[in-house]
Amino acid sequence: MSAAPGSPLQPGGARRAAAGLWALVRPVYDARWTLLPPLTGAAMLAMLVGAVVVAPREAIEGEVQRIFYIHVPSAIAAYLAFFVVFVASILVLWRGDMRFDAVARAAATVGVLFTALTLATGAIWGKPIWGTWWAWDARLTSTLVLLLIYSGYLLARSLSDSTDVRAARYAAVFAIIGFVDIPIINMSVRWWRTLHPDPIVTTLPGNQALPDSMLLVLMIGMAAVTLLTLWLLSLRAETERIGVEAEELRAQVDRLEADGTRAGRGVA
Amino acid sequence: MSAAAAVLGKDLRLLWRQRAGWLSAAVFAAISVLTYSFALDLATGEVRPLLPGVLWVTFLFAGIIASGRSFAAEVEQGTFDALMVAPVSRTALYVAKVVSNLLALLLIELAVLLLATILFNTALLTPELIAIMALGTVGYVSLTTLLSTLGSRVRSREVLMPVLALPLLVPLLIAAVRATGGALDLPTGGSPWLLLLAAFTVWSAVGSALLFPMVAEQ
Repeated sequence: MSAAPGSPLQPGGARRAAAGLWALVRPVYDARWTLLPPLTGAAMLAMLVGAVVVAPREAIEGEVQRIFYIHVPSAIAAYLAFFVVFVASILVLWRGDMRFDAVARAAATVGVLFTALTLATGAIWGKPIWGTWWAWDARLTSTLVLLLIYSGYLLARSLSDSTDVRAARYAAVFAIIGFVDIPIINMSVRWWRTLHPDPIVTTLPGNQALPDSMLLVLMIGMAAVTLLTLWLLSLRAETERIGVEAEELRAQVDRLEADGTRAGRGVA
Repeated sequence: MSAAAAVLGKDLRLLWRQRAGWLSAAVFAAISVLTYSFALDLATGEVRPLLPGVLWVTFLFAGIIASGRSFAAEVEQGTFDALMVAPVSRTALYVAKVVSNLLALLLIELAVLLLATILFNTALLTPELIAIMALGTVGYVSLTTLLSTLGSRVRSREVLMPVLALPLLVPLLIAAVRATGGALDLPTGGSPWLLLLAAFTVWSAVGSALLFPMVAEQ
């Protein structure tokens, strides 16, 4: 399955460009443990101040609308994390490298966290606005199905050994199907029913639905949640990597001990 | 081609010899429809609108039970490793297994339709309904057969199968329930459900056939 270096899939020019890009990103990546915590903290604080103090009170919905500044970024962060799971899963199948499996598991955990946060903040908003915590609306349903798919992924992966290559390949195949299934789920439930407000940020600049101050706070929220996602992802991937390493060391110690016992018996 | 035919022959023989496995799914399906009919009758006098949901939930669970151990016999007996080194394409291994699972499930579903015809007093064994049922069955069986390859490598696999399969099958469930409802003259909301069902079935069959060789790889 793995493509040899210099295969037609990866022409030399593209490889050199990727290497150049990596040389630029590398210092930032290496400094992630010193950069991410203060940056995330500052951005989260700015988001909180922005959402509670700076952003104007929404005319119709009132104070509860302020939950929007964490709700929307959380939803986007969840999709971002699931996209990372998708790419890492392709790499698990293509390259057979278990480090990508650790990344996929880490991203799935973070994605499930943000999906749950999206559903929870949505329910808190829905109670006063729609009069109900939950409705079988298109977006709510597809987000819930998303939560179920990746919870299933995590369950499958936690019920198997973290060093099990075949279980990792299986989980990768499941993650790929799950990700490709998302647009089909979205379409099917939209045909089924919809109640959720339309996305208001992505409308054309001419007929912008969101006032500038609200848009600014939303952007800060996006930045804050993206940084938090990256930090959690780094932490989680590092934990997974150390876990795999510990498991391998334990297996090595077991082997050495077994050898030692056999050798000892031989001498005696 | 003859190798693929031999693999298909093996799967059909297994289907006959291990009939206890999928016949228990048939018994499950019968109990499920009986219990639904009984329980819903307690709640409401008008059970007909609930029929498509009852049928498809029963089909999906029966399908997960019947195809859940698709390659279990091969893995336990060591046949699977032999097949991996044999000059047979892995897609052929997969397609043969889907065909044998499909045969078992179509039999189960026809029996369920017959039973539901009696219990719900509605003519269900119509060509239109059988066609919808067969289309949807190809859609879910291709996915559950792929997912069943988890084998014995994972603990509590029996619980894991529905947890993994059902969220992925949500579009199929919606489309199949609505299409079945349309065939029974129930309100469907007007979307082209049969088209969605066909599209899902094509993607699930093609996607699973493409991905199977990657799970099967040693």
